[in-house]
Amino acid sequence: MEAAKMASPKSAPKDAQVMAQILKDMGITEYEPRVINQMLEFAYRYVTTILEDAKIYSSHAKKPSVDADDVRLAIQCRTDQAFTSPPPRDFLLDIARQKNQTPLPLIKPYSGPRLPPDRYCLTAPNYRLKSLQKKVSSSAGRITVPRLSVGAVSSRPSTPTLGTPSAQTVSVSTKVGTPVSLTGQRFTVQIPSSQAAVKSATPTTPTVQNVLINPSLIGPKNILITTNMVSSQNTSNEANTLKRKHEDDDDYDNL
Amino acid sequence: DRQTLLAVLQFLRRSNLRESEEILRREARLLGDDLGAAALSPAGAGALGGPDGDAGSIVGEALLSRVTAAPAIAIGGSVATVASSSPGLAAVAAVPPGKGGARAGSAGSFRLSDKLLFYANAFAVGGGVVVEDQPDVSAVLSAYNQQGDPTLYEEYYSGLKHFIECSLDCHRAELSQLFYPLFVHMYLELVYNQHESEAKSFFERFHGDQECYYQDDLRVLSSLTKKEHMKGNETMLDFRTSKFVLRISRDSYQLLKRHLQEKQNNQIWNIVQEHLYIDIFDGMPRSKQQIDAMVGSLAGEAKREANKAKVFFGLLKEPEFDVPLDDEDEEGENEEGKPKKKKPKKDSVGSKSKKQDPNAPPQNRIPLPELKDSDKLDKVMNMKEAAKRVRLGPECLPSICFYTFLNAYQGLTAVDITDDSSMIVGGFADSTVRVWSLTPKKLRSVKTAADLSLIDKESDDVLERIMDEKTASELKILYGHSGPVYGTSFSPDRNYLLSCSEDGTVRLWSLQTFTCLVGYKGHNYPVWDTQFSPYGYYFVSGGHDRVARLWATDHYQPLRIFAGHLADVTSTRFHPNSNYIATGSADRTVRLWDVLNGNCVRIFTGHKGPIHSLAFSPNGRFLATGATDGRVLLWDIGHGLMVGELKGHTDTVYALRFSRDGEILASGSMDNTVRLWDAVKAFEDLETDDFTTATGHINLPENSQDLLLGTYMTKSTPVVHLHFTRRNLLLAAGAYSSQ
Repeated sequence: MEAAKMASPKSAPKDAQVMAQILKDMGITEYEPRVINQMLEFAYRYVTTILEDAKIYSSHAKKPSVDADDVRLAIQCRTDQAFTSPPPRDFLLDIARQKNQTPLPLIKPYSGPRLPPDRYCLTAPNYRLKSLQKKVSSSAGRITVPRLSVGAVSSRPSTPTLGTPSAQTVSVSTKVGTPVSLTGQRFTVQIPSSQAAVKSATPTTPTVQNVLINPSLIGPKNILITTNMVSSQNTSNEANTLKRKHEDDDDYDNL
Repeated sequence: DRQTLLAVLQFLRRSNLRESEEILRREARLLGDDLGAAALSPAGAGALGGPDGDAGSIVGEALLSRVTAAPAIAIGGSVATVASSSPGLAAVAAVPPGKGGARAGSAGSFRLSDKLLFYANAFAVGGGVVVEDQPDVSAVLSAYNQQGDPTLYEEYYSGLKHFIECSLDCHRAELSQLFYPLFVHMYLELVYNQHESEAKSFFERFHGDQECYYQDDLRVLSSLTKKEHMKGNETMLDFRTSKFVLRISRDSYQLLKRHLQEKQNNQIWNIVQEHLYIDIFDGMPRSKQQIDAMVGSLAGEAKREANKAKVFFGLLKEPEFDVPLDDEDEEGENEEGKPKKKKPKKDSVGSKSKKQDPNAPPQNRIPLPELKDSDKLDKVMNMKEAAKRVRLGPECLPSICFYTFLNAYQGLTAVDITDDSSMIVGGFADSTVRVWSLTPKKLRSVKTAADLSLIDKESDDVLERIMDEKTASELKILYGHSGPVYGTSFSPDRNYLLSCSEDGTVRLWSLQTFTCLVGYKGHNYPVWDTQFSPYGYYFVSGGHDRVARLWATDHYQPLRIFAGHLADVTSTRFHPNSNYIATGSADRTVRLWDVLNGNCVRIFTGHKGPIHSLAFSPNGRFLATGATDGRVLLWDIGHGLMVGELKGHTDTVYALRFSRDGEILASGSMDNTVRLWDAVKAFEDLETDDFTTATGHINLPENSQDLLLGTYMTKSTPVVHLHFTRRNLLLAAGAYSSQ
């Protein structure tokens, strides 16, 4: 910590001098100069909170003015909320005694990475794929295109790479923790929606997130689709409500 | 009621105030029948006029003081008796108008009369509630007596001081131990009973007499001036309820007892009986030097029984298996203890003797994870490295390689290095955990699921192929905590990393994927230190809630809770055999806990500041501890004694480490130095005879200078971590702080 460089004592306001004196009395000799400002802010905030609470209590008790009891009550209530202190010693000794009576559990051999049950771990995917909004399904002559719903392909290091939708059914059993490969996934590509994705997803057409489409796939089919899309955009919305159920089913299949 | 009055009458008789005594008797007869609340409150109100005018009355004041003292501590029904007596006494005070001679010099006089008015008011207002049940008068009396007169506390204390100073030299050192606990308890009692000004003057007068190493505590104490302050301060409440342990020889104790019991006002004797535990031993009184070495903790010293339990400090047997002569030629492991007739030579590190070490715990005392293949390979590597290890000693000091963290801006709060010295982790105040590779090999994480599906699972080098080369780097940053990271620990198999932080959680990170796997919530307060067990699977954490917890990686709740410290647990370490845990705390004691049943088997006192570093010797017999007082203390675990004191550092010792074979102890401190000490010499010639083990004190030789092998200064980098590589090269780590 840098040595305290006090703003020239003559010009420091009285409150700051008092705070510096308090720090000195408590034995704190080295502190950054802004600590005094922080302490003063804290003191101001704390005192005003307490006094406001005390005013409320005293008016509730229909007293003409705020007195020491109100302040005391306000402090008590705030302390329970804001500044919790660790449990008292006898309580700790009691729970320790309880906990220490149970024998140490035996260790199962050959059980891979020894982690708590999944709900206590942070290894579950922390996202869900949104359902696809619309399919090109209004016209009979629609081109059945496979729909691409890809699981976790993001390379963000913070999200676990185990987040494939089907991963929850497959337990990670090897000790190295190799993620499960994406076998058994139905690969379907819905071109119109991906088109929208390529057009930097407009909010009106919700699309599958994290879609990596090889643009070359889209190329040859472009012209055909766009005409369909133009006509179907008007009907897409009501088609959505009709088709939503199927889409949801499809989505849940993948999940 | 009657008994209260009798007590008052006795007091009056003793103080030779016959007149008041008679008056009181008269009043008592008057009031004796009249217990109705309605009658009392007007009497009380009516008598109020009296005390005002007679504030100078000696009797009245003394009585009033007792009365006000009693209500302050009165609980529930006992208030009733006092209320009934207070109007009576007030009446008494009113009656002798002649006693004009004021004891105005008495410091608390005006306050006392104010107090009485306040209490009388309170009782008058709540008059209906005042006398409904007759409380246990003896209970009131006993509380009453123990309270004593607050204004006389200073006299009691100075009386004792005078006595001790006049006692024989040999006893004086031991009896001086009484000063500090008595001072604190008397002060706290004054504060608790709300005699603020007496408490202040008491403190002013005597706090300078205390030993210098108690000054920090005294500073905290000086800020506690009201009863409400005490409520939030757990440490002070614990201090008040727990017994301060003093070890005094029988002779000194007899002396003290005789003196205290013969005095009339044996207030001090009451406090001694209630708050102090005097552990008497037969033998020579200790010298000041001996006492100074052992005192300093918040609860006095350790009782002798506390350090009598048997501790298995030996090491667990390593499973024997052969070191292959060639790399390709891997022999199978043989069973423990069975003689092996094959060609490869047996490893010298594994125990040759088939006998069980009597000091070692049974192999299955606590369940330990079995060795996996990768662990066995690791052990083989370890043995190979051990063969090439440099033998250290006073003539052959280790080379020191210092890793300086630059641009940390005072944010580096924790460091750990893997056992094979391949990775270093830093925990920072910005809540990140950063892992660096110390070898040319970069840090690789496992490939993503998409890529993993593309590799050939049948190939021989599948373990290499699952690693992602594209994101390999020297540094990996782990985000997840929401507060400064105060402790980090690698697992022995280098698969996991633990980090504990101010946000109250301990997080387990995978070093294969560099992601967070589990957050262990249990401490709801900052966790100051954590460590994996030497065999993996278990880990210990200690924090601000004054307990240490033992966890296993596959249980979301702790397996053991080690409660007993009076203040935060600042440092936690496993014993090499994983059966015991040492915790150092801000209450300046070090405790050794048994993992099997959670009992505290050793208490080591002697440090004068919070303990920040602990190190077990590789043979498991000794423990080295470092604290903010700059001293490194050495303890024999088996006997429970202090065996050495290494003075030299001038600031907190944050890092301690024994060399791989235990010949050298390295200590790193905030004073920017690393010091090397001769451990072999420090622990040799331990002649612990019966007397020493019985009484628990040992004469420490002043040999710090002899044991110091070298002092190495860094430019301006406090040393935060020390680590001996498998070949006995010393690695040190710290963050450069520009001053």
